[in-house]
Amino acid sequence: MRYAYFPGCSLSSSGIEFNLSFQCVSRALGIDLVEVRDWVCCGASSAHATSHLLSIALPVLNLSHAENDGFDRLIAPCLACMSRFKAANVELEHDPELREKIHEVFDYKYQGKVKVYHPLEVFLEMGLERIREKIRKKLKGLKVVCYYGCVLTRPPKVAQFDNVENPQSMDSIIRTLGAEAIDWSYKTECCGVSMTLTRSDIVLKLSNDILREAKEAGADAIVVCCPLCQANLDGRQRQIEEIYKTRYELPILYITQLMGLAFGAYPKEVGIQKLITSPREALGLIGLM
Amino acid sequence: MSVVFSKENLKLARKIQSLTGENVMLCYQCKKCTLGCPSAYTMKMKPHELMRAIQLGLEEEISWSGTLWICLSCETCNTRCPQDINILRVIDGFREMSKDMNYYNPQPFIPALHRIFMALVERFGKIYELGLALAINLRMLTPFKDIDMAYPMLSRGKLKLLPHKSRGAKELQQVMARIRKIEKG
Repeated sequence: MRYAYFPGCSLSSSGIEFNLSFQCVSRALGIDLVEVRDWVCCGASSAHATSHLLSIALPVLNLSHAENDGFDRLIAPCLACMSRFKAANVELEHDPELREKIHEVFDYKYQGKVKVYHPLEVFLEMGLERIREKIRKKLKGLKVVCYYGCVLTRPPKVAQFDNVENPQSMDSIIRTLGAEAIDWSYKTECCGVSMTLTRSDIVLKLSNDILREAKEAGADAIVVCCPLCQANLDGRQRQIEEIYKTRYELPILYITQLMGLAFGAYPKEVGIQKLITSPREALGLIGLM
Repeated sequence: MSVVFSKENLKLARKIQSLTGENVMLCYQCKKCTLGCPSAYTMKMKPHELMRAIQLGLEEEISWSGTLWICLSCETCNTRCPQDINILRVIDGFREMSKDMNYYNPQPFIPALHRIFMALVERFGKIYELGLALAINLRMLTPFKDIDMAYPMLSRGKLKLLPHKSRGAKELQQVMARIRKIEKG
């Protein structure tokens, strides 16, 4: 199936391994990705704090490009992007006044025909059976917790995906891959990344809570589906260990990295070398490193 | 603090409603928003108190509390509110309004970050992470904050030294200019 692909700012920098691994998995599953023409930033958490109209206009600018080029499905792997795109579609559908204002901003009249997906939604739509068919190496022996972050399922009116307080999509994929997905209660807690540059104290506390709970649950690694969660939990882990005088050494892996490895890709193909906290020990458990 | 309640007090709630479409008068203080809020522990005015303060028209107190800017936009309150109030939308509306208010804000760097973020996006069409971090660090007078994070990221190619310009930047600049024009009236 052909999709417009919106990598967003993160996937070409701090989340580069998400890009590598998602493309690798997409090739294996037959998901055809075409990058959105001349895409620009979605505005993330800054646009909606400055101007509501702007926070809708930036996603619409990208959605119009996709619609204009004949796409009716768009994939945004970054949860901040995905959430802003979905919110724009939902608000435009329900608010004629806003629609009018947006039409004033653009020459091209966006029709709202592009449906927005996160990679997890696409994987589940294809079915776990399809994933199972592609597995060359089961990840038996690896114990992980799945961390979904804030806005994959929230608010349900916008996200329209999975169980809002206790999502299962990643857990079901992890189990299909042969690894163990431990149940825990921090699946959708916020890691605080939107304040990472200004109030790092909040971010360190919230991320520490998540890392501590994951460790206590007995996980060898945390599996994530958002480049912002990953950058935070991985990039700040050393600082957190220093401040809270503890040792986690928990690798933060993307779900697509584990899928790629199970499909037989080399660690380098899915960007394992890009991770800051080394996954050597965790992947050693399944004989991959 | 005692508040004498009059029709005057309702003005703020009405203003928020006309801007965002959200009716804060529906709030009956169940505190589900506060109990689920990840940053409530560091807020002087908790989310449910913010709702009450809007009902009472306490514009200045709200600004002084800094709550507007400590909100992480995680959408937990919106998801759990039994009255279906979009609390984040209310907060965003207030943030937008605060541009024209001259009250003290104890968290000046957070709106400053949003401004720098949008200025960089307008310039390049994408975000320039290193530039954003440097600019806000200078603004906060902590130029070397998080410098320990830079090397592991630079050496893995996860942080670019120079900005990368999107081919869509020009179109984006036009869009932002039009929005400014519409918003001015």
